Amino acid sequence: MRNTYLWFIQLVTGVLIAVLAGIHTVWMHLDAILGFFGIDVRDSTAWHSMIERSREGIWAGLYIALLAVVLYHGLNGLRNIILELTPSARTERIVTRAIIAFGIVIFAWAAYVPILLLST
Amino acid sequence: MRQIQPRNNHLGIGGWIWAGNYKLERYLYILHRVTGLGILLFLLLHLTMTTVFRIQGKDVWEATMSMLHNPWFKFGEYLVVVALIYHALNGLRLILQELGFLMGKPIPPIYPYRDSLRKKRPWTMAMIGIILILCLVFFYDFIAGGW
Repeated sequence: MRNTYLWFIQLVTGVLIAVLAGIHTVWMHLDAILGFFGIDVRDSTAWHSMIERSREGIWAGLYIALLAVVLYHGLNGLRNIILELTPSARTERIVTRAIIAFGIVIFAWAAYVPILLLST
Repeated sequence: MRQIQPRNNHLGIGGWIWAGNYKLERYLYILHRVTGLGILLFLLLHLTMTTVFRIQGKDVWEATMSMLHNPWFKFGEYLVVVALIYHALNGLRLILQELGFLMGKPIPPIYPYRDSLRKKRPWTMAMIGIILILCLVFFYDFIAGGW
Protein backbone atom coordinates (compact mmCIF):
# COMPACT_ATOMS: atom_id res chain seq x y z
CA MET A 1 0.00 0.00 0.00
CA ARG A 2 2.91 2.32 0.76
CA ASN A 3 4.07 2.19 -2.86
CA THR A 4 0.56 3.07 -4.04
CA TYR A 5 0.66 6.30 -2.00
CA LEU A 6 4.20 7.06 -3.21
CA TRP A 7 3.04 6.58 -6.81
CA PHE A 8 -0.07 8.74 -6.29
CA ILE A 9 2.12 11.55 -4.88
CA GLN A 10 4.38 11.07 -7.93
CA LEU A 11 1.39 11.80 -10.21
CA VAL A 12 0.22 14.82 -8.19
CA THR A 13 3.72 16.34 -8.02
CA GLY A 14 4.07 15.71 -11.78
CA VAL A 15 1.01 17.87 -12.52
CA LEU A 16 2.19 20.58 -10.07
CA ILE A 17 5.64 20.67 -11.70
CA ALA A 18 4.14 20.83 -15.20
CA VAL A 19 2.31 24.01 -14.12
CA LEU A 20 4.97 25.66 -11.90
CA ALA A 21 8.04 24.74 -13.98
CA GLY A 22 6.03 25.62 -17.12
CA ILE A 23 5.49 29.17 -15.81
CA HIS A 24 9.16 29.34 -14.71
CA THR A 25 10.44 28.21 -18.15
CA VAL A 26 8.15 30.52 -20.12
CA TRP A 27 9.07 33.47 -17.85
CA MET A 28 12.81 32.82 -18.11
CA HIS A 29 13.09 31.86 -21.78
CA LEU A 30 10.21 33.15 -23.90
CA ASP A 31 11.25 36.82 -23.60
CA ALA A 32 10.94 37.56 -27.33
CA ILE A 33 7.41 36.10 -27.59
CA LEU A 34 6.25 37.55 -24.25
CA GLY A 35 7.65 40.91 -25.40
CA PHE A 36 5.44 40.66 -28.50
CA PHE A 37 2.42 40.52 -26.14
CA GLY A 38 3.67 43.54 -24.20
CA ILE A 39 5.12 41.63 -21.23
CA ASP A 40 8.67 42.79 -20.56
CA VAL A 41 10.78 40.06 -18.94
CA ARG A 42 14.13 41.04 -20.42
CA ASP A 43 17.19 40.56 -18.20
CA SER A 44 15.34 38.15 -15.91
CA THR A 45 18.72 36.61 -15.00
CA ALA A 46 20.48 39.96 -14.41
CA TRP A 47 21.72 40.57 -10.84
CA HIS A 48 19.42 43.53 -10.08
CA SER A 49 16.31 41.75 -11.35
CA MET A 50 17.22 38.52 -9.52
CA ILE A 51 17.85 40.39 -6.23
CA GLU A 52 14.56 42.28 -6.60
CA ARG A 53 12.71 38.94 -6.84
CA SER A 54 14.75 37.50 -3.95
CA ARG A 55 13.47 40.21 -1.60
CA GLU A 56 9.84 39.23 -2.15
CA GLY A 57 8.44 36.55 0.14
CA ILE A 58 6.00 35.26 -2.51
CA TRP A 59 8.86 34.36 -4.89
CA ALA A 60 10.87 32.69 -2.11
CA GLY A 61 7.76 30.72 -1.11
CA LEU A 62 7.08 29.66 -4.70
CA TYR A 63 10.70 28.59 -5.24
CA ILE A 64 10.76 26.55 -2.03
CA ALA A 65 7.43 24.88 -2.92
CA LEU A 66 8.70 24.10 -6.44
CA LEU A 67 11.94 22.77 -4.94
CA ALA A 68 10.04 20.39 -2.63
CA VAL A 69 7.81 18.93 -5.36
CA VAL A 70 10.64 18.71 -7.92
CA LEU A 71 12.97 16.95 -5.47
CA TYR A 72 10.26 14.46 -4.49
CA HIS A 73 9.31 13.74 -8.12
CA GLY A 74 12.90 13.47 -9.38
CA LEU A 75 14.34 11.42 -6.53
CA ASN A 76 11.31 9.09 -6.28
CA GLY A 77 11.58 8.56 -10.06
CA LEU A 78 15.28 7.75 -9.70
CA ARG A 79 14.47 5.33 -6.87
CA ASN A 80 11.82 3.60 -9.02
CA ILE A 81 14.33 3.17 -11.85
CA ILE A 82 17.01 1.73 -9.54
CA LEU A 83 14.57 -0.62 -7.79
CA GLU A 84 13.39 -1.98 -11.14
CA LEU A 85 16.70 -3.84 -11.28
CA THR A 86 15.28 -6.16 -8.59
CA PRO A 87 17.81 -5.59 -5.83
CA SER A 88 17.78 -7.48 -2.54
CA ALA A 89 15.72 -6.21 0.41
CA ARG A 90 18.91 -4.87 1.98
CA THR A 91 19.90 -2.94 -1.17
CA GLU A 92 16.38 -1.55 -1.46
CA ARG A 93 16.60 -0.26 2.11
CA ILE A 94 20.03 1.30 1.50
CA VAL A 95 18.90 2.95 -1.77
CA THR A 96 15.74 4.34 -0.13
CA ARG A 97 17.59 5.74 2.88
CA ALA A 98 20.41 7.20 0.77
CA ILE A 99 17.91 8.94 -1.53
CA ILE A 100 15.88 10.32 1.41
CA ALA A 101 19.07 11.63 3.08
CA PHE A 102 20.28 13.17 -0.20
CA GLY A 103 16.89 14.84 -0.75
CA ILE A 104 16.79 16.29 2.77
CA VAL A 105 20.33 17.73 2.47
CA ILE A 106 19.62 19.31 -0.94
CA PHE A 107 16.27 20.68 0.23
CA ALA A 108 17.73 22.16 3.42
CA TRP A 109 20.55 23.91 1.54
CA ALA A 110 18.51 25.09 -1.45
CA ALA A 111 15.66 26.36 0.79
CA TYR A 112 18.09 28.12 3.14
CA VAL A 113 19.54 30.33 0.36
CA PRO A 114 16.24 32.06 -0.70
CA ILE A 115 15.37 32.60 2.98
CA LEU A 116 18.82 34.16 3.55
CA LEU A 117 18.46 36.36 0.47
CA LEU A 118 15.12 37.77 1.70
CA SER A 119 17.09 40.14 3.95
CA THR A 120 19.67 41.28 1.36
CA MET B 1 12.48 -8.89 8.02
CA ARG B 2 10.18 -7.79 5.22
CA GLN B 3 10.25 -10.09 2.18
CA ILE B 4 10.27 -8.57 -1.31
CA GLN B 5 8.43 -10.41 -4.04
CA PRO B 6 10.70 -11.09 -7.02
CA ARG B 7 9.85 -8.96 -10.05
CA ASN B 8 10.18 -10.11 -13.64
CA ASN B 9 12.94 -8.00 -15.10
CA HIS B 10 15.35 -10.56 -16.41
CA LEU B 11 16.67 -8.28 -19.13
CA GLY B 12 18.16 -5.84 -16.60
CA ILE B 13 19.43 -2.50 -17.95
CA GLY B 14 19.40 -3.94 -21.51
CA GLY B 15 15.61 -4.21 -21.21
CA TRP B 16 15.36 -0.42 -20.90
CA ILE B 17 16.51 -0.08 -24.50
CA TRP B 18 15.31 -3.28 -26.15
CA ALA B 19 12.49 -5.40 -24.86
CA GLY B 20 11.11 -7.34 -27.80
CA ASN B 21 8.66 -6.39 -30.50
CA TYR B 22 7.29 -3.25 -28.91
CA LYS B 23 5.66 -0.32 -30.66
CA LEU B 24 5.79 3.46 -30.52
CA GLU B 25 4.61 3.71 -26.89
CA ARG B 26 7.55 1.61 -25.70
CA TYR B 27 10.01 4.06 -27.26
CA LEU B 28 8.11 6.98 -25.75
CA TYR B 29 8.57 5.22 -22.39
CA ILE B 30 12.36 4.94 -22.92
CA LEU B 31 12.52 8.60 -23.92
CA HIS B 32 10.47 9.51 -20.82
CA ARG B 33 13.03 7.76 -18.63
CA VAL B 34 16.05 9.27 -20.41
CA THR B 35 14.61 12.82 -20.33
CA GLY B 36 13.71 12.35 -16.64
CA LEU B 37 17.29 11.40 -15.73
CA GLY B 38 18.63 14.27 -17.86
CA ILE B 39 16.32 16.80 -16.16
CA LEU B 40 17.35 15.50 -12.72
CA LEU B 41 21.02 16.01 -13.63
CA PHE B 42 20.22 19.51 -14.91
CA LEU B 43 18.29 20.26 -11.70
CA LEU B 44 21.37 19.53 -9.59
CA LEU B 45 23.52 21.80 -11.79
CA HIS B 46 20.80 24.49 -11.75
CA LEU B 47 20.54 24.34 -7.96
CA THR B 48 24.34 24.64 -7.66
CA MET B 49 24.25 27.73 -9.86
CA THR B 50 21.33 29.41 -8.09
CA THR B 51 22.62 28.72 -4.57
CA VAL B 52 26.43 28.32 -4.40
CA PHE B 53 27.17 30.96 -7.06
CA ARG B 54 24.32 33.32 -6.16
CA ILE B 55 25.26 33.55 -2.49
CA GLN B 56 28.80 34.71 -3.37
CA GLY B 57 27.62 38.08 -4.61
CA LYS B 58 27.23 40.14 -7.75
CA ASP B 59 30.66 39.54 -9.36
CA VAL B 60 30.50 35.74 -9.16
CA TRP B 61 26.87 35.78 -10.37
CA GLU B 62 27.64 37.98 -13.37
CA ALA B 63 30.73 35.92 -14.27
CA THR B 64 28.59 32.74 -14.14
CA MET B 65 25.86 34.36 -16.28
CA SER B 66 28.33 35.54 -18.91
CA MET B 67 29.73 32.01 -19.09
CA LEU B 68 26.21 30.61 -19.50
CA HIS B 69 25.53 32.99 -22.40
CA ASN B 70 28.02 31.01 -24.48
CA PRO B 71 26.21 29.55 -27.57
CA TRP B 72 26.98 25.96 -26.53
CA PHE B 73 25.39 26.48 -23.11
CA LYS B 74 22.42 28.14 -24.85
CA PHE B 75 22.05 25.09 -27.08
CA GLY B 76 22.26 22.83 -24.00
CA GLU B 77 19.61 24.99 -22.34
CA TYR B 78 17.37 24.51 -25.39
CA LEU B 79 17.80 20.74 -25.15
CA VAL B 80 16.76 20.92 -21.47
CA VAL B 81 13.63 22.88 -22.47
CA VAL B 82 12.82 20.24 -25.13
CA ALA B 83 13.32 17.47 -22.56
CA LEU B 84 11.04 19.33 -20.12
CA ILE B 85 8.30 19.81 -22.75
CA TYR B 86 8.46 16.13 -23.73
CA HIS B 87 8.57 14.81 -20.16
CA ALA B 88 5.70 17.08 -19.04
CA LEU B 89 3.34 16.30 -21.94
CA ASN B 90 4.12 12.60 -22.10
CA GLY B 91 3.68 12.47 -18.32
CA LEU B 92 0.26 14.14 -18.58
CA ARG B 93 -0.73 11.60 -21.26
CA LEU B 94 0.36 8.76 -18.97
CA ILE B 95 -1.62 10.20 -16.04
CA LEU B 96 -4.76 10.57 -18.18
CA GLN B 97 -4.34 7.01 -19.46
CA GLU B 98 -3.68 5.57 -16.04
CA LEU B 99 -6.78 7.21 -14.60
CA GLY B 100 -8.82 5.84 -17.52
CA PHE B 101 -9.78 9.12 -19.22
CA LEU B 102 -8.50 8.12 -22.68
CA MET B 103 -10.13 4.67 -22.77
CA GLY B 104 -13.25 5.74 -24.65
CA LYS B 105 -16.71 4.23 -24.20
CA PRO B 106 -17.06 0.44 -24.01
CA ILE B 107 -18.06 -1.13 -27.37
CA PRO B 108 -19.35 -4.62 -28.19
CA PRO B 109 -16.53 -7.05 -29.10
CA ILE B 110 -17.30 -7.30 -32.81
CA TYR B 111 -14.53 -8.27 -35.23
CA PRO B 112 -12.20 -6.49 -36.15
CA TYR B 113 -11.56 -5.65 -32.49
CA ARG B 114 -10.09 -2.30 -31.47
CA ASP B 115 -7.54 -2.92 -28.77
CA SER B 116 -6.86 -0.29 -26.11
CA LEU B 117 -3.53 0.70 -27.67
CA ARG B 118 -5.20 1.65 -30.96
CA LYS B 119 -7.95 3.51 -29.11
CA LYS B 120 -5.33 5.64 -27.35
CA ARG B 121 -3.06 6.09 -30.38
CA PRO B 122 -4.78 9.29 -31.73
CA TRP B 123 -4.19 10.95 -28.33
CA THR B 124 -0.55 9.90 -28.50
CA MET B 125 -0.18 11.39 -31.98
CA ALA B 126 -1.88 14.62 -30.81
CA MET B 127 0.58 14.79 -27.91
CA ILE B 128 3.54 14.38 -30.27
CA GLY B 129 2.11 17.16 -32.46
CA ILE B 130 1.79 19.56 -29.50
CA ILE B 131 5.35 18.72 -28.39
CA LEU B 132 6.71 19.50 -31.87
CA ILE B 133 4.81 22.82 -32.02
CA LEU B 134 6.08 23.88 -28.56
CA CYS B 135 9.66 22.88 -29.48
CA LEU B 136 9.41 25.07 -32.60
CA VAL B 137 8.01 28.01 -30.58
CA PHE B 138 10.90 27.81 -28.10
CA PHE B 139 13.37 27.35 -30.98
CA TYR B 140 12.07 30.56 -32.55
CA ASP B 141 12.48 32.36 -29.24
CA PHE B 142 16.03 31.09 -28.77
CA ILE B 143 16.91 32.30 -32.29
CA ALA B 144 15.08 35.62 -31.86
CA GLY B 145 16.60 36.18 -28.42
CA GLY B 146 20.08 35.64 -29.85
CA TRP B 147 22.40 32.74 -29.16
